[in-house]
Amino acid sequence: MTDTSGSVLAASALRKEYGKGAALVRAVDDVSLEVAQGESVAIVGPSGCGKSTLLYLLGGLERPTAGTLQLAQRQLEQMPEAGLARLRRRALGFVFQAFHLVDELNALENVELPALLAGASPRKARERATDLLEQVGLEDRAEHLPSALSGGQRQRVAIARALANGPAVVLADEPTGNLDSAATTDVLRLFEQLHADGQTLVVVTHDERIAATADRLITMRDGRFVDETKLTGGTQRTVTEIAGLDG
Amino acid sequence: MGRLLLTWRLAIRDIKRRRVQAALLLLMIVTTTTTLTIGLALHKVTDSPFARTRAATMGPDIVAELGPTPGASRDVARQFAPLLRAPGVAATDGPYPIGFARLTTRHIGVLAETEGRDAAPAVIDRPALTAGRWVSPGGAVIERGFADALGLHVGNRIDLNGRAFRVAGIAVSTAQCFYPVSSPGLVWLTRGDTEALASSAQPLGYILNLKLDDPSSAESFENGNAGTAFYNAGSNDTKPSLSSWQDIQRQDFKVISVDQKVLLIVSTLLALLAIASIAVVVGSRMAEQTRRVGLLKAVGGTPLLVAAVLLAENLLLALAATAVGVAIGQLVAPVLTNLGNGLLGSPPTPPVTVTSVAEVVIVAILVAACATVVPAIRGARTSTIRALNDPAHPPRRRPWLISMSAWLPVALLLGVRLVARRVRRSLLTAASMTIAVMMVVAALTLEHSDEVRNRAAVIGTTTVAGRVTHLVFLLSAILIVLAALNAIFTTWATVIDAQRPTALARALGATPRQITAGLATAQLMPGVLAACLGIPLGLALYGVAGGHVEQASPPLLWLAAVIPGTLIAVAVLTAIPARIGARRPVADVLRSD
Repeated sequence: MTDTSGSVLAASALRKEYGKGAALVRAVDDVSLEVAQGESVAIVGPSGCGKSTLLYLLGGLERPTAGTLQLAQRQLEQMPEAGLARLRRRALGFVFQAFHLVDELNALENVELPALLAGASPRKARERATDLLEQVGLEDRAEHLPSALSGGQRQRVAIARALANGPAVVLADEPTGNLDSAATTDVLRLFEQLHADGQTLVVVTHDERIAATADRLITMRDGRFVDETKLTGGTQRTVTEIAGLDG
Repeated sequence: MGRLLLTWRLAIRDIKRRRVQAALLLLMIVTTTTTLTIGLALHKVTDSPFARTRAATMGPDIVAELGPTPGASRDVARQFAPLLRAPGVAATDGPYPIGFARLTTRHIGVLAETEGRDAAPAVIDRPALTAGRWVSPGGAVIERGFADALGLHVGNRIDLNGRAFRVAGIAVSTAQCFYPVSSPGLVWLTRGDTEALASSAQPLGYILNLKLDDPSSAESFENGNAGTAFYNAGSNDTKPSLSSWQDIQRQDFKVISVDQKVLLIVSTLLALLAIASIAVVVGSRMAEQTRRVGLLKAVGGTPLLVAAVLLAENLLLALAATAVGVAIGQLVAPVLTNLGNGLLGSPPTPPVTVTSVAEVVIVAILVAACATVVPAIRGARTSTIRALNDPAHPPRRRPWLISMSAWLPVALLLGVRLVARRVRRSLLTAASMTIAVMMVVAALTLEHSDEVRNRAAVIGTTTVAGRVTHLVFLLSAILIVLAALNAIFTTWATVIDAQRPTALARALGATPRQITAGLATAQLMPGVLAACLGIPLGLALYGVAGGHVEQASPPLLWLAAVIPGTLIAVAVLTAIPARIGARRPVADVLRSD
């Protein structure tokens, strides 16, 4: 068994299968991963290679068929659903490709939602949400509904929401997948800032630019890790250089 | 032809694909049309048995009665004399002595009316024996409705005022309403036995049966010769009271007419319940239908074809449900028209008239049209691409509810926000629950009404009020089952509609229990409204149905129990769909977007 004492997130021989017999699909196949506190890991690979499934497994949104999983010193694979929910509440933040904002809640209400679910007082939840919206540069959009925000703004709201409970790890599934170049740059900047602030990040992405900001780049194919590159401390280039927007 | 075939095929395929929704729609319309059919078919259902019995028993056109009065036998000839000479009288028979006696059999003691008869057949009113033989000394003949209620058969022993008699026969007559419409029940004895049962405390009265030249003029004859039935102290010229055969028929019909009134009210409630349920079903299918409309348009379907497919689908369900409803109504109506064997022959199967079928079909078509028109118009107006991409009708934002809910525990927060998303659906749910609560309250009120209590004191519950109570409880049960199905379906519709926000809440840390509680809370809130509205409306319904609320006193505790009872029922009913919804794999839902 791997020594995971220094990791905030650790997976060992993780497997996820769907179907049976001839129709058996191994979406994640014998994957082991350790993510250290403050580390940023990017997982890249073609569509259908199992990246998102792996992310959902790491976040306890899906149960692995086999393998072990540890988050914030807690074993996840046998943990009851309610325990997983409580752990997600305080230790994880999710950023989805499709944003998944609640349509009828404005930006501020979307950001404060995880804190309210965690039992924070409405006043504290509101204060924290206001701070986070300020951090992502959307304080003037706090009262706007998601339908009145651009794609990039929606994703920034989603990132602010992911940070609402000060999670140990932020898991991001194709965070720039639905965004244009300008919005992508905004989101890249935010991730860079998060990384600089010591936030642990696991990002599943197609986007080489976001991958280039990570400490470690893992390539996945057919459910397996096929390559791993350490980009010590991430790239030295700025986001605008990476994005090719520096003129 | 090809287009018709296509329309038919698309309609059938969609029904097969949405079996549960189709079944629910079918069930709702079947129940409504069944109740409506019964209500409409019960109209004057007693006419035929009454006429048959009247003909078979040489039933009187007028029955003249002198109530039991001390020394009545001395004056009887004088008091009936004007009637014997009255114009229009074709024949008379009697007078026969009548009295009251305590009938005891198998530990049951009830008051009975006795009528003294000769052994020879009478000229008018020859009670038709359905079992046994006619009266003889010591041998009593019991009116069939009364015999049924007491469980008496030929050969049984009864006591009248402590004197032993044997049941010689069982018979029917139209000279008096059958039991339980007329209470106390009737026992025919010989003249001698009837007179022997009389005492100074229980004096005799007399009846005289009359045939008129024109039986249809019986009511005007009655009005022209009206009297008072009972002895007036200090008066020597008490006139006999008269009852026309039409009066007696109307009284017999009361049994059914009360049922009919209850049924028509309940069928209206069922129609409302069906509309509420259908609105929920249609609403939950709306987004799906809009997408389907987009798809049909994308492959070349015209808006007309699209509307035709939707209409065919809903019409098919509505007409199938109508056919089933009318058939069930036909089968069930005779059970409700059972008159307690008070008249000769079985009641006829209630006729299904063209009008009643037309009315039921119109209701069904309206339902189909309602279910069709909105998605059809929406689909026709929406561009193909937009219809294809159309998400579910976007939820409404209600800022004050959202702000207020932030101060609530997580389960309530989720519940309130789910209600706020679809307020109209919650109101429809509240409406259907209110209807069920109304019926329960009306039934409780009826059960504790003076009428039922007084009638029940006479004998068991085989009275008109007892029949109505049973009917109301039966219909309440039907309404409750439908409201329960509706609650389950509404919860499921909410689960489906809210699967993305609930999955998201779980991803953000809400536990399955909190989600289940939130979904259940979203149904409990309409339940609270239903319980609070249902109590006063139920009492009002009892009043509308002809009851006297002031004479009914359902225990306050019972009424108060309706509120927690409703909430517990809703919580139990919604727990399973809510739990299933809360346990759907989060990743599948989030990935599918």
